[in-house]
Amino acid sequence: MAKINKSKRPIPGVPDGSTSDIAFLLLIFFIVSTVFVKEKIIKVKMPKAESIDKIPRNHAVTIYVTQAGQISIDDYALQIPDVSTVMTKKLNIDYNVISCFRTDENTNYGLMADIMNQLRNANCLRVSFEAKRKI
Amino acid sequence: MFPQKTKRKPCGVPTGSTSDMAFLLLIFFLSTTKFDMKYGMGMVLPAPTSESTVKVKLKDENMTKILVNKDGQIMVNESSIPFEALKDHVKSLVKNNKDMVFLLKTDRQSNYANMMRVLDQLRLAGAEKINLSTN
Repeated sequence: MAKINKSKRPIPGVPDGSTSDIAFLLLIFFIVSTVFVKEKIIKVKMPKAESIDKIPRNHAVTIYVTQAGQISIDDYALQIPDVSTVMTKKLNIDYNVISCFRTDENTNYGLMADIMNQLRNANCLRVSFEAKRKI
Repeated sequence: MFPQKTKRKPCGVPTGSTSDMAFLLLIFFLSTTKFDMKYGMGMVLPAPTSESTVKVKLKDENMTKILVNKDGQIMVNESSIPFEALKDHVKSLVKNNKDMVFLLKTDRQSNYANMMRVLDQLRLAGAEKINLSTN
């Protein structure tokens, strides 16, 4: 009778040699895909409020209004009469556009009223006044 | 006579902890990355007036006029009111009449922050029908 020799099997184990590769890959992915928001010239100190809700980013168009009265929509500086034209174009692209005001707390309200009138003329009626959460 | 040379083990950089280091960095970046979230007070502006606009006159009992002057002082229905008491006052008005419309009229010379803090109090008090205007 021939006896079958049992061959010694190596102990099975999960290969962990590539764990560092996976981790570095994830790390590099996050480093590369992170986009930092640059605020180059426009510095705005937003007012604080309690009753604030999250604004859906995909419909938002940010309007910066500085204390000195500079207006910027999507990084383009413009004057009050141009707001209506720009926002009409935005409305044609996205019907649910929300104009988000990032206004300095010391800005004159009259300027804001003028911009809001321009938005009304452009039929951009959804607005949101951005604020920081009061702690 | 000569001392026997001991067999040295081959040198190598220990790589066992590379994955630990990579994961540590990954977790650091994941936890410190702060997304630029947008929070604000959403409002809908009134549609632009045209010839076809039907004007509906509000009854005086359904309307509360809130005036904010350039110093941030508040007047509700012709009577001055301290900022701290505004929320409770509005709350009682909303409780008595759910159709109450608040006309928030801010001076053009007033700061944007003055309007925002009043608007915040109105929203906190549960006011839903808010109209913004200026002089």
